[in-house]
Amino acid sequence: MGESILATSGVTKRFDGLVAVDDITYQVSEGETAGIIGPNGAGKSTFFNLLTGYFRPSEGQVHFKGRDITKRPSYERVMMGIARTFQLVSVFDSMSVMENMMLARVRQGQDYKSKTRFFFKNAHYRGLEKECADALDTLGIADKADALTGDMGYGEKRELEIAIALSLNPKILLLDEPFAGLSLVDIAHISEVIKKIKGQFTIVIIEHKISKLMDLVESLCVINEGALVCNGNPQEVICDAKVKECYWGKEDMVCY
Amino acid sequence: MINFIQSILYGLTIGGILYIISIGLSLTFGAMGIVNFAHGLIYAVGAYALYTVATLLGANFLMGAIGAIAVSIPLAYLIERFIIRRLYGQSIDYAIIATYAVLLIGADALKWFFGASPLPISDPIGKLWYFGGLQMPAYRVIIIILAGLVFVGLSLFFKKTLVGKIVVAGLQDREAVRSLGIKVEKYFAIVFIIGSALAALGGVLYAPLSTLDPYMGFEIIILCFAVVIVGGMGNLRGTAIAAFTLGLVHSLTAVYLVSSAADAMVYVVMAVVLIFRPIEASA
Ligand SMILES: Nc1ncnc2c1ncn2[C@@H]1O[C@H](COP(=O)(O)OP(=O)(O)OP(=O)(O)O)[C@@H](O)[C@H]1O
Ligand SMILES: [Mg+2]
Repeated sequence: MGESILATSGVTKRFDGLVAVDDITYQVSEGETAGIIGPNGAGKSTFFNLLTGYFRPSEGQVHFKGRDITKRPSYERVMMGIARTFQLVSVFDSMSVMENMMLARVRQGQDYKSKTRFFFKNAHYRGLEKECADALDTLGIADKADALTGDMGYGEKRELEIAIALSLNPKILLLDEPFAGLSLVDIAHISEVIKKIKGQFTIVIIEHKISKLMDLVESLCVINEGALVCNGNPQEVICDAKVKECYWGKEDMVCY
Repeated sequence: MINFIQSILYGLTIGGILYIISIGLSLTFGAMGIVNFAHGLIYAVGAYALYTVATLLGANFLMGAIGAIAVSIPLAYLIERFIIRRLYGQSIDYAIIATYAVLLIGADALKWFFGASPLPISDPIGKLWYFGGLQMPAYRVIIIILAGLVFVGLSLFFKKTLVGKIVVAGLQDREAVRSLGIKVEKYFAIVFIIGSALAALGGVLYAPLSTLDPYMGFEIIILCFAVVIVGGMGNLRGTAIAAFTLGLVHSLTAVYLVSSAADAMVYVVMAVVLIFRPIEASA
């Protein structure tokens, strides 16, 4: 594995009295595909939101490629290469699929830097249509390019959301429960997509059920009640006694 | 019958002006969750800028309108930059207190400069147009047409331009836009200024139908909140429909019920809509 790409040191996030993330020190290595699991309300999404800049930590720092990014806003972190998807799919329902893709390219072209762009559809837009169609093709929704996003099924929206994140040229991709709310067919499909793209850049996946992650990730971290319980090789983590106590007690999982 | 059609046309005039003023309020409310009372000040400043240019300096009405918009833009910029921007992500109470303070201070400043007594502005066209047996001040017809143009212009703006597209996306989900690397507040600020310029235009258009007084912003802002609540915060088409509907309610109540109940009736409609509208999941 390569060097650390994204790391936290002692991050804590409090909401009034509640400690949602409690002193987590964590790191992902370049090129790795990592999993984060934990029960409902454990603080996984909040931890992600500290990584992406949606929240500022109450304490602790976030580092990206050795740089302290704790105070950088989320849109700047995206430009550094930290892309994400949300637990609840967030794509723009009132626009077509292609327009959603193009919105993601607004800051990617040269065009943005010149700051002269007035119309949404300009020469730049037309030039990128092919590229975006290819990205949609990776997710298997190329035929939907002109569909209204609001008319698509939840699974297709999730695919679009991932296509959008991919088109941001990420160095690290953070997926918050990408399988949540999907049918088995869609889960298998998204799983295939992740297998296809993994290795090209670093990926961190939050999941609820460990079974969906086992054949995807090289490392696994468990969060419970805001704190990091353990982190390491997935097989070992599962068998860790502490994990069994806080997690599988409820879910009845067996050791691999 | 003639009388009825005439009150409808009068209602559309009020509706058109309400629409032009409310659109900015609706966008700031819907996009940033900020209740902006300072919007009423921009409206009043627009009217007083018209008075200054057209009456005090003796230029014509059109120059006054241009002057009003020209004054509103830097004023809106300052309000956005130093007040609204600090309220993002804060509790809505702070927004109400801070922007209400701006409205109060601004209104008192207007009183200080221009005095407390109402100032008249005369109808810039002063002609009646006849359609069959119907007579209608040309100025009111022009207001209705102008409101229609603003609606079409804004629709195109939000459909075709980059800023418009980003703001529409931001109205749905701010954080999702940021997660594309876009500093969405910057685009909201542009739209805030456009909305403010429209409020100033509203002040200009309404001035000849009424009189200026330093506290005119307080009156209009409450009516505009009714429009925004009925039309849905950040809902562009809803705001237009609500503005024209409430304008009609206002005018028809004044003619057929009691003229003093016209404002009250607007709030009755707002209350009825609030009672019967299903609560949106996101709210
Ligand atoms: N914006 C917020 N304000 C207040 N409390 C919050 C906020 N966001 C999260 N919380 C609380 O923080 C705790 C952790 O929530 P979080 O969403 O991070 O959990 P999670 O591990 O992602 O759970 P799930 O599996 O249900 O998605 C919960 O108790 C939640 O209620
Ligand atoms: Mg979560």
